[in-house]
Amino acid sequence: MSSLSMSTEVPVKKETKDHVNKSVVYDTKNLNLWYGDNHALKNINLPMHENEVTAIIGPSGCGKSTYIKTLNRMVELVQDVSISGEILYRDKNIFDKNYRVEELRTRVGMVFQKPNPFPKSIFDNIAYGPRIHGIKDKKILKEIVEKSLRGAAIWDEVKDRLQENAYGLSGGQQQRLCIARCLAIEPDVLLMDEPTSALDPKSTLKVEELIKELKENYSIIIVTHNMQQAARISDKTAFFLNGEVIEYDDTDIIFSTPSDKRTEDYITGRFG
Amino acid sequence: MTIRGQFVSELSELKGEIMRLGAMVERAFDETIEAIRKKQYAKLDDIIDNDKNINDLELAINDKATLMIAKQQPVASDLRKIIVSLKVSSDLERMGDLSVDMAKSALRLNDRINLEKFEEELLSMASKAKIMIKAVLIAYRDSNVLEAQKIAAMDDDVDSAYGKFIQSIFEVVAVETGITEQVTQMAFISRYIERIADYCTNIAEWIIYEVNGKRFDLN
Repeated sequence: MSSLSMSTEVPVKKETKDHVNKSVVYDTKNLNLWYGDNHALKNINLPMHENEVTAIIGPSGCGKSTYIKTLNRMVELVQDVSISGEILYRDKNIFDKNYRVEELRTRVGMVFQKPNPFPKSIFDNIAYGPRIHGIKDKKILKEIVEKSLRGAAIWDEVKDRLQENAYGLSGGQQQRLCIARCLAIEPDVLLMDEPTSALDPKSTLKVEELIKELKENYSIIIVTHNMQQAARISDKTAFFLNGEVIEYDDTDIIFSTPSDKRTEDYITGRFG
Repeated sequence: MTIRGQFVSELSELKGEIMRLGAMVERAFDETIEAIRKKQYAKLDDIIDNDKNINDLELAINDKATLMIAKQQPVASDLRKIIVSLKVSSDLERMGDLSVDMAKSALRLNDRINLEKFEEELLSMASKAKIMIKAVLIAYRDSNVLEAQKIAAMDDDVDSAYGKFIQSIFEVVAVETGITEQVTQMAFISRYIERIADYCTNIAEWIIYEVNGKRFDLN
């Protein structure tokens, strides 16, 4: 695909105040994406930093879910997608011909809007990934399952029923189980696409607390429709509108003194 | 009405309430000064009693603002408008208290001693403060940063008038006897006027914060 010439460069601050010593996990450069003729992502330039929560906000159809699915190349499963530009993950362009997408998805876990446990036991849900990676030793698998479930703050609730079907868990527990499933393969990055939108307030709070804890060891990118959630849990926020990044900055700045009027209008509920 | 529309209308009601509080504070100040000018000391008791209404309205504004934050979880400029409404109403309430302090001091003045020269200076200082109160209320009503910035220069005028007034009091007290109590009350009143002007400057700073999101020291 020939890249379109973009006349307007979106002003995105590469380095915000506390970024001096944080390494960049993902660096998106001049990313454009089309679904057929529909130009869904327009000249995206975004850095994402280690051990931070980056929130992506914006109205429905603004491209935020497309963007997060591009970060692990899941978007390529959609028919008729074309992409130009680069996404550097740990300094390597994920669109390079020689880049192994399986390797990328091992390093980058994803949690979806609706919890999607496998129709298996709680234990097998977590052990699934490690088994695929060739781990057969039961003792090691047990350790991984416990560590992952503890990491997702659900161990105490399920430790006595690991052999029960995961479908028997509540929605909030299922979502934390899915997060634990991601953790089992020891990823580097967690992508979360509206992970709490199907959860009640109490479960939402648990997942939010978990996200805050997880950022100590992982870099997290979360798409959310919940402004207060973005404000509560993220370090950086990117505001998407009509496929463009309108503003990217420290979350504290986005929610107090955004520099673009469209950001202000969106976060204060004037549209969207 | 849409949820957003309702919130916008609540914001505008909130500002309306603060303007009402501002009008009450302005009137309390004007009436105190008028009572001093006309030596109608009986009126001062009414001013002291009326302060309760100012306090009540400030509490009502606090309740309304708290409820708006709880229900709407505002951010950015919406949040600043509400936070500033709390700050401005608190400053106005303090200005009301200072008018009460002025009235109490004025009650201790009596007209057996001729202090016309001082009175003239005091009233001239009061009229500067009066203009500031009016100007800052209008600037707040209109969220007008340029007008808010002008308040600082006005405050400098009041400060300098206050300095001169205190200086002239010192000079007279050093040579005249029997007027200490009177002159001290006048010094208090002038101090209260100067504080009221400072609160006007505070409010002007809040106006700038409301609009720009940045604190700006006008003092």
